[in-house]
Amino acid sequence: MAHHVEYPGRLIAIEGSRGRDAATAAAAVIKALKDAGVDSAISRFDASGLFGDLAAAARGDRHISIRTLTLVYAADLAFRLRWEVRPVLAAGGVVIAAPYVETAVAFGVSCGLSEDWIRQLLRFAPKPDIRARVEERKLARGWKPHLDRGYAEYCAAILENAAPKLASKRARRDVMALLDRPRGRKVYRLSGKGVNELVKSVTRSLQGATRRSASTPRTARR
Amino acid sequence: MPRTATTQRLEQLIAQREQSRGLLIAFEGPDGSGKTTQRKLLTRWLESRDHQVVSTRWGSSALVKPLLKVRKKLRTLSTEEYSLLHAVDFRHRVETSILPALWAGKTVLADRYLFTALARDAARGLDLDWLLNAYSPLLWPDLVLYFSMTPEDSRRRIASTRSPHFYEAGQDVTGIEDPLASYSRFIDRVVKEYDNLSVVFQFVTVDAGEAVYRQHTRVRELVERTEKRPWPTFSEDALKEWLITSNIPAG
Repeated sequence: MAHHVEYPGRLIAIEGSRGRDAATAAAAVIKALKDAGVDSAISRFDASGLFGDLAAAARGDRHISIRTLTLVYAADLAFRLRWEVRPVLAAGGVVIAAPYVETAVAFGVSCGLSEDWIRQLLRFAPKPDIRARVEERKLARGWKPHLDRGYAEYCAAILENAAPKLASKRARRDVMALLDRPRGRKVYRLSGKGVNELVKSVTRSLQGATRRSASTPRTARR
Repeated sequence: MPRTATTQRLEQLIAQREQSRGLLIAFEGPDGSGKTTQRKLLTRWLESRDHQVVSTRWGSSALVKPLLKVRKKLRTLSTEEYSLLHAVDFRHRVETSILPALWAGKTVLADRYLFTALARDAARGLDLDWLLNAYSPLLWPDLVLYFSMTPEDSRRRIASTRSPHFYEAGQDVTGIEDPLASYSRFIDRVVKEYDNLSVVFQFVTVDAGEAVYRQHTRVRELVERTEKRPWPTFSEDALKEWLITSNIPAG
């Protein structure tokens, strides 16, 4: 097990119930950081390609459980940490993980898994320096099954038969409620004002550290 | 899980199935210890006695095998990723192959079970409690046959037949270029982990150095003597979760 190490960089976790909203929020944060002169990298869902490969292997297989998918999420997160997150943090950079741990916890718990089990499973992931919550859109809808939009949408596609309730707005509301639970630390709401606050917080925390000149947002993937 | 009407009904179902369910037997031990040979011999013997037998092998689920194979070949897996992908494979086999067969009264012979992951991944430096959590909820085997041999014997048997693969040789953690030299170091740690696990999880040891027929005779005796580890006591959480998600008819 990788031991937790203090990194000079900053990790921003962006959590949300819809993949598209998380991607939009991450793009807004990257742009705002760039405007403030801070370069940043992004780590997205399924950077490892595991979920894509799994979907190809699972054609016709209707017996995949949420526990299995959570284990795949953990494997994907381990890949993202190794190639996309830790190298940037070690180099003193800023990296945005969208989604990160809380999205998997909220989704898994809403599907009946124990919160403790998921947190133990994902305990190799470093704690984010800054937590942010996307501004949710299309609140009155459940998830549409899509294999390439985000974790929840992927699960809705794969678990279509096993968990038809994922299409319901109630399931999504449950996940949003779990994501909104107070967890003791400030969580930035990524509306326009929230993005500015987050950027201020990042720039403040980086004061004293060498700032790179702003450039096109880069991926840290090798 | 809170005790609701549903959980009570599931508990009843599990208790009722205890009589007719099949036996789960795990074959564990270092590479080259003869597990597969003994599993095949036992399969034949059980089938000759009109048992329905289902065999399941490590890393063999149709879902995970292709993606695991590619990544192993490319040697791109970190310790955590390697471990987690095997946990995915294991969970999927438990849910789609092992539990349905046991529920239907078939005997399941597992050529390596979760203890393989515990021994190998702990030898790679992962925490045992994290590994146990990843494999939870546990489905306990009724019998774990541990084919015991020294690291030197394992190395000798492997060297006489083939060159171990990159991960099998533990080259990802030892950093040694020569597969056999790496295997020698890695298997030493794996056997130590197995020996510890054999005490904690009450493995039944079979001397892998004995003649194949003697081992088979002992395996038969052990299987005949095996009593079921009651599902309600040992594996209830795994069963409940599977019953909820698999739409098994109440009968």
